[in-house]
Amino acid sequence: MVRPRLILVALAALLVVGVAALGLERFPPPEFETDYVRPTTTAPNPPQGLWEYVDAGVLAVTLVLATVLILRTRNRKLIFALMLFCLAYFGFFRNGCVCPIGAVQNVTLTIFDPGYAIPLAVLVFFALPLVFTLFFGRVFCGAVCPLGAIQDAVLIHPVRVPRWLESGLRLIAYLYLGAGVLFAAMGAMFVICRYDPFVGFFRLSGNWEMLVVGACLLLIGMFVGRPYCRFLCPYGVILRQLSRLSRWRVTITPTDCIQCHLCEDACPFGAIRKPTEPWPNKEYQVARRRLAFLLVLLPVLIGAGGWAGYELRQWLAMVHPEVRLAQRIYLEENALVEGTIDASDAFRALGRSSDELYAAATQLRDRFGIGGALLGAFVGCVIGGKLLSLSVKRRRTDYEPDPASCLACGRCYRYCPKEHERLKRGREGLVRH
Amino acid sequence: MADLSQQTSADEPRVAYQTARTTAKVAGTFAIVFLALFVSNFIGTSVIAPLRENRLVEMKAELRGGDPTEEQLADIRQLDLQIRRNRMWRLDFAHKSGYALLVSVVLFLVAGKLARVLNEPPPRPRSIPDVGAEQIREARGSRWTVVAGLVTLGGVAALLITSAAPLAFVEAKETGPSYASMEEKRLQWHRFRGPDGGGVSVFTNIPTEWDGATGKGILWKTAVPLPGNNSPVIWNDRIFLCGATEQKQEVYCYDANAGRLLWTGDVPVSPAATQARIDPMEDTGRSASTMATDGKRVYAIFVTGDIAAFDFHGRRLWHKSLGVPESAYGYASSLETYQDRVIVQYDQGDGSEDLSRLYALDGTSGRIVWEVKREVPNSWTSPIVVEIEGRPQLITLTDPWALANDPADGAEIWRADCLGGDVAPSPIYAGGLVLAIEPYSHLVAIRPTGQGDVTETHIAWTMDEGGPDICCPVADGQHVYLLESHGLILCCRLADGEKVYEQDLRDNFTASPSLAAGRLYFLSMDGVMTIAEAGPEYKELGKSELGEKCHASPAFGNGRLYIRGLENLYCIGEPVAGGRAD
Repeated sequence: MVRPRLILVALAALLVVGVAALGLERFPPPEFETDYVRPTTTAPNPPQGLWEYVDAGVLAVTLVLATVLILRTRNRKLIFALMLFCLAYFGFFRNGCVCPIGAVQNVTLTIFDPGYAIPLAVLVFFALPLVFTLFFGRVFCGAVCPLGAIQDAVLIHPVRVPRWLESGLRLIAYLYLGAGVLFAAMGAMFVICRYDPFVGFFRLSGNWEMLVVGACLLLIGMFVGRPYCRFLCPYGVILRQLSRLSRWRVTITPTDCIQCHLCEDACPFGAIRKPTEPWPNKEYQVARRRLAFLLVLLPVLIGAGGWAGYELRQWLAMVHPEVRLAQRIYLEENALVEGTIDASDAFRALGRSSDELYAAATQLRDRFGIGGALLGAFVGCVIGGKLLSLSVKRRRTDYEPDPASCLACGRCYRYCPKEHERLKRGREGLVRH
Repeated sequence: MADLSQQTSADEPRVAYQTARTTAKVAGTFAIVFLALFVSNFIGTSVIAPLRENRLVEMKAELRGGDPTEEQLADIRQLDLQIRRNRMWRLDFAHKSGYALLVSVVLFLVAGKLARVLNEPPPRPRSIPDVGAEQIREARGSRWTVVAGLVTLGGVAALLITSAAPLAFVEAKETGPSYASMEEKRLQWHRFRGPDGGGVSVFTNIPTEWDGATGKGILWKTAVPLPGNNSPVIWNDRIFLCGATEQKQEVYCYDANAGRLLWTGDVPVSPAATQARIDPMEDTGRSASTMATDGKRVYAIFVTGDIAAFDFHGRRLWHKSLGVPESAYGYASSLETYQDRVIVQYDQGDGSEDLSRLYALDGTSGRIVWEVKREVPNSWTSPIVVEIEGRPQLITLTDPWALANDPADGAEIWRADCLGGDVAPSPIYAGGLVLAIEPYSHLVAIRPTGQGDVTETHIAWTMDEGGPDICCPVADGQHVYLLESHGLILCCRLADGEKVYEQDLRDNFTASPSLAAGRLYFLSMDGVMTIAEAGPEYKELGKSELGEKCHASPAFGNGRLYIRGLENLYCIGEPVAGGRAD
C-alpha cells in the first residue's frame, strides 16, 4: 500500500524539478521574407487607475473583516475562508502586485529619490496593514496577506521548530529588510520584489530559479508553518515591532487562562509562550553580569557592523546595474572577458564615455559606502538587541501568544476549554432566542 | 435500530477520513504523473529540441557561403516548419499538463488537509518537571544560535573584505588615467612620424646597415595581408598598422619581437561607402592614414571615412562612419591622440559646402567630444598636438590656413594665412617654430605664441625656394630638412630659413625623412634607405637596400627600425635592444 507520506515526498522532489518547465522560451520569429508585415511592438497600457483604488478598497474591507473574525468572532474556518479569498484576489487575480511587502521599497525610494512619485495605492498598501497591526496585532498576516495564505494553505503536517533555531533564522528577515531598504534607497533594485518566491505561482509564469525557490519554500511549508513569514518576510519585521504595541490582539482564551496546558503545542508557528517560573538565585547573578557585558557589547557590534558595511561597499555596489555595467565595460576594454553583452553594446551605441560611466559608478560606490555602514550598524544593533532580549527575564503567568510572533491565524482558539464554553454559551443563547 | 443508527453516526468521521485520505492518494498519484509528463516535456524542449534547432542554424550558415539552391531552401523550410510545430505542440502540452498538475496538487492539498483535520490527534501536553530550567536552556541555546549567526556573518564579511576588490575599474581609476601621458608617448612611436609628428626618434641605437637580399640586419619580415600606405605605429612590444581593399578594412597587431601577427581587427565598410564606390588615387590607396594609439586603445581610419577603436587585445570597442569624405586624391590624413581622445582632421570638398571638420572623439566610446567646422577644402596633412609654453596646441595645415586649436575643447588659438593649393606635408614643431609647407612654393615658420589671426605678426620667416608636395620636413634644432618627391634635399637654417645646402639623391620618395642619433634617414620608393649626417653639410653615411618597394614612412623603436614595404613589414635591428632614450 502506498503511504501518503511517500506520495508527499515524491511529489515534493518532482515539483522542484517540474517548476523549471514553466520557464519555456519563446521561439524566434521566422527569418524568411514573406508578405507578412510584422505588427509594431507596443508597450502594454498601464494598469487602469481604477483597479488601484479597488485593490486599496478590498484591502481595507478585508482588514476590517479579518479584525472582526480574528478578535470578535474567533472562528478559524471563517478566517481560513477569508484567507483563501485574499489568496485568490490579491494573489491569483491581481498577480501578487501591489503587496505591502514590496511597498516598503517604494516608500524608501520616495524618501531618497525626489524624482520618484509613489502611487497612492502603494502608499495605502504600505500604511494600512501597519495601522491595523498597531491597534489589532498581525491581522494582516493572519488572513489577508496572499504570501502568508499560500503557505498556510499548503501546511499539512506541522513540525515544531526548536526555539533556538527559530531565534537564529529570524535574523535573516532583518538582514533582508536592511538590504531591501538599502538597494531601494540607492535605486539599485527592488530586491524584495525580484526575489518574491510566490509571485511566479500567482502569475503562472516566471523565471525557473525563483519558481524552484518558491516550490522549495512551499515544500518546506508543508511541514514548517509559513517559513517565509517567520524567517524571511521583511515587512513582517516591521509588523512584529508594531504588534508588540497593539492594544487589542489575539488571546488564546476568551476569558481567563486556567493553565490547562492544552494549547501548549497548538501553534504551528511556535508563537505560544508558557508561563515563566522564577530563576534560581545563581542564575540571576550570571544573568546580571551577562546583561552588563551585552550592554557594553551593543555599541561595539553597531560600530563593527558599520565599519564592515562600509568596507563591503564595492560588493554591495555590484547590485547596482550602472556599477555592473561599468565593471563589464572595464573588463571588456581590458580584454579580461570575451565578447560583449547586450548592455555593453547598448552603452557603446549611446556614445557615452566610459570615463563618465566609471565616474558615475565610483560615485555610486561611495554612496554605497554610507548605505553599507548604516546597514552594518543596523545589523549590529539587531544582533546586539536580540542577545539582550534573550538575556532578560520575562514574567508570564498565563499561556499567551507572543505579540510579535503571533500570526493571528486563529488555530489556537479551539484548544482552549474556555473557548468551547464561550461557543457553547453562544449556541445556547441562540437556542433561547 | 437505534444501535445501528448510533454506529453509523460514529463511523461517519472514520469514513470521511478514509475518503479524504484516498482522494489525497489518488490526487497525489495524478500529480506525480502530471509532473513526470511536465518534466519530460521540459527535457524535450530544452535538451532534445535544440539539437534540431542547431541543425537548422548550421543549414542557414551553409547558405551564407554562396547561392542557395531551391532544394536547400525547401529543406530548411521543412525543418523550420517541423521545429515550429514541435515547439507549439510542446508549449500546448506544457500548458495543459501544467493546469492538470495545478488541479491535482490543489486537490491533494485539500484532501490532505481534510484528512489531517479529521484525524488530528488530541492535544497531549508534555509533562515538564522543571519549566524554569527548560526556559533557561532555550534562552541559552537561542543566544548561542545568534552568536553563531554573528560569527557566520562576520566571517563572510571578513572574507569579502580581505579578498580582491570586485570593482576593477575603481582600482584602475584610483591608480591612474586611462591613457598614456605625453612623457610616455615620447618614448613610443604612437602616431604618424612618432612623438609630436616630427619624425625624430629618442633612441640612439637605431641600425644603420642592413640588406634585404641577404637578410643581414633584418630581424624579421612578415607579410601584411591587405595593402596600405600607412606607416607602422609602435607601443612597447606591439606594432600596429592597417590595410584595406574595397571589400575589407583590417587592423593588424604584430609582436614587435617575433613579427607574429597577434590579431586582426575587422572594420566594417559602411553601407554609404559601399554605395559611393570610392576610387582613390593609386598612390593614396584605401588605407593611407596612419593609425594612432593613446597607450590603451588603438585607432584606425580608412579612405571610406570609417573609423574604429580597438583595445590592445584586438577587441573592437567601437566603430563609426564619419561620412564618405570628398577628397580629390582620397582621404589620407593620419590620426592623432590627445589624452583619451582621438583627433581627426576631416577636410573635404572644395571649401564652399561647409563639409570640413576637426573632430575630437572619445576614445572609449567614439562619441564626438567636440567638433569644429572649417570652411576649408580637402587637404592631406595630419594634425599634431604639441606642448607650447606649457599649453597643448592642436596644429593643422590646410588651404589657406595654418591653425592652432585647444585640444581640450577645440577652441581656436591662432591662425595664419600662409598656405595654398593641395596641402599634403604635415606640420612639425621645432626650435619654437611651427613649420608649414605649401607644395612647390615655400616653407613658412610661425611663432605659435599669438592669438587670433597672426598672419601679420607671427610669421618668423618664409623660405621661397620651393617645397615638397608629399614629404614632411624634419628638423634637428639647428636645421630643417626638406625632401622633394624626386629626391632633392633642401637644408635650411631653422633660425632664419636661409638655405644651407641642396643635395639630389636621384631617387623618388613618398616616405618622409626621419632623424635618429644625429643621422637623417631617407627611404626611397625603391626601398633604399640613404643615411646621412645631420648638419650644415650633406655627408652621406651609407645606403641600405630592403629589396621591396616602400611608400610609407619608417617607424623607430628602441634599437629597431620598422619599415612597411608594399607587401611585407620588416623589423631591422637586434633581437634584444639595449639602447637608451635621449
